[in-house]
Amino acid sequence: MRNHQRILALIMLLILPTVWGCAAAAVLPVAGIATTGVTKAVQASREITDSEEYYLGRAVAARILTQYPLYQNHQITTYVNEVGQTVARKSSRPETFRGYHFAVLDTDEINAFACPGGTIFITRGLLNSCATEDQLAAVLAHEVAHVANKDGVNSISKARWTEVWTAMGAEAVRQYGGVAGNLINLFEGSIDDVFKTLVVNGYSRTAEMAADAGAVDTLTKAGYNPQALADLLEQMMARGKSGSGGIFTTHPPTSDRLAQVKAMIKEAPTSSAEAKRTNRFKKIVQL
Amino acid sequence: MKRLLLPKPVVWIALLGLAFLMVSSGAAWGEVLKVSQPDQCLYPDPDFAGQPLLPVPVGAELNVLSQAGDWFKVEYQDKVGWIHRQAFPAPPAGSKFSLGRLIGVAPVKETKSDEVALAGKGFTPEVESAYRQKHPEMKFAEVDRIEAVRIPPAQLQAFIAAGGLQP
Repeated sequence: MRNHQRILALIMLLILPTVWGCAAAAVLPVAGIATTGVTKAVQASREITDSEEYYLGRAVAARILTQYPLYQNHQITTYVNEVGQTVARKSSRPETFRGYHFAVLDTDEINAFACPGGTIFITRGLLNSCATEDQLAAVLAHEVAHVANKDGVNSISKARWTEVWTAMGAEAVRQYGGVAGNLINLFEGSIDDVFKTLVVNGYSRTAEMAADAGAVDTLTKAGYNPQALADLLEQMMARGKSGSGGIFTTHPPTSDRLAQVKAMIKEAPTSSAEAKRTNRFKKIVQL
Repeated sequence: MKRLLLPKPVVWIALLGLAFLMVSSGAAWGEVLKVSQPDQCLYPDPDFAGQPLLPVPVGAELNVLSQAGDWFKVEYQDKVGWIHRQAFPAPPAGSKFSLGRLIGVAPVKETKSDEVALAGKGFTPEVESAYRQKHPEMKFAEVDRIEAVRIPPAQLQAFIAAGGLQP
């Protein structure tokens, strides 16, 4: 009997701390977050994390896909991803939380969208407007630069982001009735902010110029001809008078953008490799 | 050497404690969970980055084999794979205090602290899940398909080399 008692005591000694330990783990965050709630004003300006940016970007992409169907062409999708990955790895932000992904939207509209976190869309209309692989790379490098510069995320209104952060305090959770209340509404509002910037209003002129500068740098490092971006801008500007909506609203091609790109290009010889790239582009895209 | 002596009341308390644990343990393993969210998939690993094995519709019943963090290893249609807990937004009944979870890798959470901890993390898979529930028209399944497209490193290197680009 004594042996049984000893064994029992040992079992309890092993089990009870485990139970208490886990219970404590479940309670501790409450205390930590309660403190966060108290200091919320101080921490309101914290940056979005990479994982938050990813989940926000997924939702923005899911919303864009309600307006534009996905182009279901495996060969073209693979090719666009190959070009996209080639430039992304040479960008100022080669890695994101779950990596870059590229897809084609099945519309004649000429446009491209960079969702936070790294999902990038190019429309079939813009893809067909490109004459070479280097021009496609220029479009994708420009969109990668928007992701790298966090231009989508930065379009979330400051007031809303401050509210997101304060909603993360325990006090706010109690006030609004838990995460299902306010945080979801703030997530929805943030998606709206980014969506409106990407699809309706476009980025600021400063953001466009910075994305062009990033694209020229990326194209050069990747081995593409950065002159392709200048050519594309010229082509868009020529269409300018007749073009409306789409890229002409969200990424307006302007003379100052073109001047900046031309000034940044040091040398742009057309190589035999560029001709090879153009050939594979034509074989795959211009079927 | 000192002998460990236990008075009888302690033995009874210990036995009652053990009995309580056994009775209140939820069957985390062998439990059947019902999918309540649209656009869910079974993955080969506990990672959204993998190629989904197959879609899992709303109402599908999955046999839980084990749990690791936010992922459940389940059996469905003769396939074994992983599904994220976003497929079942409400904590499964009876699993709040599972002996299996106590000794396994899964954290023990209660609903109230779940809500608070969730809010403390900002935009998370759980927030996405609640948003999807509110907006079933959003095309998350297509986003999953886009994310599933992967260019293997060797293929990318061959593409770069063929185009005379910088490795």
